[in-house]
Amino acid sequence: MSALNNPVVAVIVSLIITVSYFVFVDHYLMDMQGLDFWYLFRN
Amino acid sequence: MGLLAGKRVFSIMALCMMVGLLLLPIVVALPSLAIGEEAPAGDAAKKDGDKVEKGRDVYYKTEGIVVGAPAPKTVDGPRDYPRYNFESRVLLWFANQQHLYYGSFVLAVPIFCMIIEFMGVVTKDKALAKRYDQLAYDFIKISLTAYSLTAILGGILIFTFLTLYPAFFSYLSGIFRIFRPVMHIYALMFVAESGTLYIYYYGWDKMREGFLKWIHLSMSVILNIIGTLLMFLANSWIGFMMSPAGVDEQGRYLGNIWHVIHTALWNPLNLHRILGNMAFGGGVVAAYAAYKFLASKTDEDRAHYDWMGYIAMALGVAFLIPLPFAGYWLMREVYAYRQQMGITLMGGLLAWLFIIQATMIGILFLSTNYYLWQAMGRMRGAEKYQRYIKYLVFILACGYMVFITPHTMVMTPAELKAMGGQQHPVLGNYGVMSAKNGGINVIITTTVLSFVWYMRGNKVSTVSWAKFGNIFMGIFFACAYFNIIFLAVYGYYIPANVRVGLSVPQVATTLSCLFFMFALNSVMMKGAKQMGPIEWGKISARSQYALIMLATAFTWMMGLMGYIRSSVRLFWHVNEIMRDNSPWAYTHTVGFAANMISFNVLFFWITILFVFWLGSLGAKKVPVESKAGIPGSIPQPVASH
Repeated sequence: MSALNNPVVAVIVSLIITVSYFVFVDHYLMDMQGLDFWYLFRN
Repeated sequence: MGLLAGKRVFSIMALCMMVGLLLLPIVVALPSLAIGEEAPAGDAAKKDGDKVEKGRDVYYKTEGIVVGAPAPKTVDGPRDYPRYNFESRVLLWFANQQHLYYGSFVLAVPIFCMIIEFMGVVTKDKALAKRYDQLAYDFIKISLTAYSLTAILGGILIFTFLTLYPAFFSYLSGIFRIFRPVMHIYALMFVAESGTLYIYYYGWDKMREGFLKWIHLSMSVILNIIGTLLMFLANSWIGFMMSPAGVDEQGRYLGNIWHVIHTALWNPLNLHRILGNMAFGGGVVAAYAAYKFLASKTDEDRAHYDWMGYIAMALGVAFLIPLPFAGYWLMREVYAYRQQMGITLMGGLLAWLFIIQATMIGILFLSTNYYLWQAMGRMRGAEKYQRYIKYLVFILACGYMVFITPHTMVMTPAELKAMGGQQHPVLGNYGVMSAKNGGINVIITTTVLSFVWYMRGNKVSTVSWAKFGNIFMGIFFACAYFNIIFLAVYGYYIPANVRVGLSVPQVATTLSCLFFMFALNSVMMKGAKQMGPIEWGKISARSQYALIMLATAFTWMMGLMGYIRSSVRLFWHVNEIMRDNSPWAYTHTVGFAANMISFNVLFFWITILFVFWLGSLGAKKVPVESKAGIPGSIPQPVASH
């Protein structure tokens, strides 16, 4: 727990968690509607 | 002991009576339901020999035996549209809107009352429990006088329908008589609601301890079930007018009660209205508390009404936050039902009203944020957030400006020429849904952030991972903002059929902030070190005006949305089934509608002030010994943090 309180570690861990979470939310919720979230990047 | 047992028996009898009252309409309706759908068909068959006419449901597309008469084809004249020397539609609009305002208020306040009474029952701090109990009692006291007025306005509304729109009303009541028990169920449920409310209110003192208190709380649950069912039934009528079902193309009833009630828009309307009513009720009670706060002569009263205003505002805003999402659902269902109806609403005749609506929504959230920032002033330790508030103002202002920017402008030919078209080369880009979704989600996320700051205003987390928690929260909010704005911009680069789905992850991002950050903050603040107590009553007068602003804006917005919802039928009484042939079957100008809404709002607030005044005349002593403690030493409400 003390390592997590190191600001650099905390920022990196937080960024990994939140960015992964929001990418998952965007992809999954679009996929659920039958839509392609990555449309622009694929075309 | 004997007295206690007597009270207990009385309470159980009262509760049983309420359950009986709740079930009475269903019991009364059962014989009709049992004969129900076959009997009229049987009668019809007898009349026409053995020939049975069948029709196809306009919405469900199922076949059914024609039971009812077709929708009347009205003509402009005294038979179908008797009138005074005045526009009948405006009279009906007024009667309808006033009934709706009061109906919403008396539906919402008992729900608040139930929540607050429950909080009082479960809290372990006895002083705080008494304060919650007192607050719940204050709430129900306000709604009692309003309840009588709601019933009177309901009567006025029915008489207005009967005298000014007899053909339409007889068709509508015919439809609802054919699925016969519904109107009677409605009336009986109103009786049940009244009985329950009076027992609940007058039994407060006698049922304030132990087991009896739980019985009393159960009564509030029953009261709210009845109230909600009443609203659902009323919603089925407006749902039928907008998106009829259960009838054929001539408007003839086909014998299926459920189809007529369960129209395409019924459920979205139910959700939207219940959330709207709650937010509205919270606003009105908060305004009442603000008025009492401003008129208070003692510190004790100021502390009490400050707290009351805060709780009412917090409950109202709790329902305001999901309201735009319920609105999206309603609009989505409108588009799914009739695309043209959706276009009329959001891209055609009524689109400018939506710009006004966006302005009002923005004002609601700005007022809420302003109140919260002011409210931090009553906490020692919250000063640390003050210097960041300017950034929140900036974010809110940006979101707000994008949210209210219209796609096209009303212009003179010279202005049109100077701008090079109806759409402004830069600002016009913000007038599309992609940008607006981004705008409103940014506003709501900022409101959540303000709430989080308020909740931790006078506290310092003592958990071992506090530093990580704070960093994580900051990054989560930053990423949420980035994601919302990214999705808004991304929408410009992809086709419309893909873009339309982006609103879902945007909403999910906002809701993630709401649920996860509130939960994380609560965990972090458990056992936190307090910098000082919340000094209830020590808040600027400006904050109280913000509460009044919140309530007024909500009242205005309700009037506006009601008008939009009703106008979308255009020249139909019942959409595509029964045509409005009165001279007033046109859509009013935006200016006239705005004046009419303002008049309704003004009338409501004048009458509700009268109701508050009446309530203060009959003010009896509170059921608890002490009203409020000394500011600064008041126990901190659990719900507020």
